[in-house]
Amino acid sequence: MSEPLCFMMGLFKAVIPNDRQYSRRHLWLQESGPGRYRVGFTAYSVRLLQDVYFLEWSIDPETVVRDQQEIGEIESAKAVSSMFPPGAGKVLSFNPQLLNDPSGINAQNYGSGWLYEFEPAANLLSAAEYVEFLNSAWQDAQRTIKGQVNES
Amino acid sequence: MAVSKVTVVISQGQGRNPVRRQLEEDIATMLLTEPGVDVSLVPHLYDMSHDHTGLLFLRSVPGNLIVLSWLYDRAARWTLDRTGVRGHEGLSLLKSAEEDAEDEDENDVVAKNGIGSVNVPNRRVYAIDLRCSAKAEDFIREVRRIAGENTVQTVELMSWIGGTPKPEQLQRYLQPERMLEARRAFDSGHATLEDKAVLPEDTGRRWYPVIDYSRCTNCMECIDFCLFGVYGVDALDRILVEQQDSCKKGCPACSRVCPENAIIFPQHKTPAIAGAQGEVGGLKIDLSKLFGGDSGESAIDMAVKERDRELLLDGREAVGTSVGIKQKVRDEIDQLIADLDALEF
Repeated sequence: MSEPLCFMMGLFKAVIPNDRQYSRRHLWLQESGPGRYRVGFTAYSVRLLQDVYFLEWSIDPETVVRDQQEIGEIESAKAVSSMFPPGAGKVLSFNPQLLNDPSGINAQNYGSGWLYEFEPAANLLSAAEYVEFLNSAWQDAQRTIKGQVNES
Repeated sequence: MAVSKVTVVISQGQGRNPVRRQLEEDIATMLLTEPGVDVSLVPHLYDMSHDHTGLLFLRSVPGNLIVLSWLYDRAARWTLDRTGVRGHEGLSLLKSAEEDAEDEDENDVVAKNGIGSVNVPNRRVYAIDLRCSAKAEDFIREVRRIAGENTVQTVELMSWIGGTPKPEQLQRYLQPERMLEARRAFDSGHATLEDKAVLPEDTGRRWYPVIDYSRCTNCMECIDFCLFGVYGVDALDRILVEQQDSCKKGCPACSRVCPENAIIFPQHKTPAIAGAQGEVGGLKIDLSKLFGGDSGESAIDMAVKERDRELLLDGREAVGTSVGIKQKVRDEIDQLIADLDALEF
């Protein structure tokens, strides 16, 4: 495996490994079988979330989902968010380890803290393309986050 | 018996957020030794089903009641009202974030239009948002202030409820120390059968609208808009949430179409929908936009989209704006869009 890429979020270095693919929803996808991918949060997402306290899925396994469909909810020390799939496709099964204790997301986001298995119907990004996307979207992302902080 | 007694009920947070757990425990522990104050813990207010022992206990509490919960005070107050725990609104000096004097004035105006609650007993219910402060002392100080404020009220107050004997299943709520101990054991994974017996029944996360009757004008927009049969009317023709479990998890569409902003979804990420006063920013950052959500639409657009999505998931047909949206509102939207177009951004 080649050297992982990284993206600087201010002083924080978000590592983006080369051994998998990515989506613009800040998720990684790694093939675990034919047409079957494990999906997890990238270091970028985990950094924004920080300690995850709560994770809940609102759909059942084996559900066909469209892009931007809400499939669950996550709450952490810093943030709340709806969960969205990497794109259109089919959610096959959820990581049972996270169901009772979602802290695995923080401990091993690129490993045992994977979220679900997925059959993507859309194209995926390479690590380099994802980092490029992060670079282009960083200004906007900061504005989104800081805008909300200032309001409160 | 202490005639000026105040009961403090702590509605526990969802999940096992250690910071929240600690604050709940600190407050409960400090109140255990507070004279004139009884303290209890119940599961999250919004999640308890109608016959949950925690709610039975809350309904059995006589006299003035202070409820501390991880909800906006307005959301907590009307969730209590809905479950039959009523009283005149006690005013706390600890307010949910982002409220200020200006909002208060606005609320007074709004309150005049609302149809109000019914069968309100002569006592006060104080709802306090646990997110107001990270320090237990702040809550203790406020409980003392409220207890002081209510010293003149006496026994006759309790006559409406009578000295209800507590059934055995409610005993656990009268032993907060034991419950805290069991909770600690549970959190550390060492709960014994005895520990589990004193903990309340499990609750799952629920999702349903809560009506703020101080704002609701009984206009029936919600019942016309919702196509899932959540709303109904009571014997007095007042709107009510009749089939709460028919509500579609995550869908706050009716709240968006309510002209008075009287429909609260306490668990929604948008503070204005979750019961915050006025239009305010969140206590936590909402990352949905970064993680793939939609944005930049009008409330009605979003409501229509949310409703269509739920209809399709139910195997029904999407109806767009053709059902349950007053023509007036639609005209206003058309006008707004025309105005915006004219501005040529």
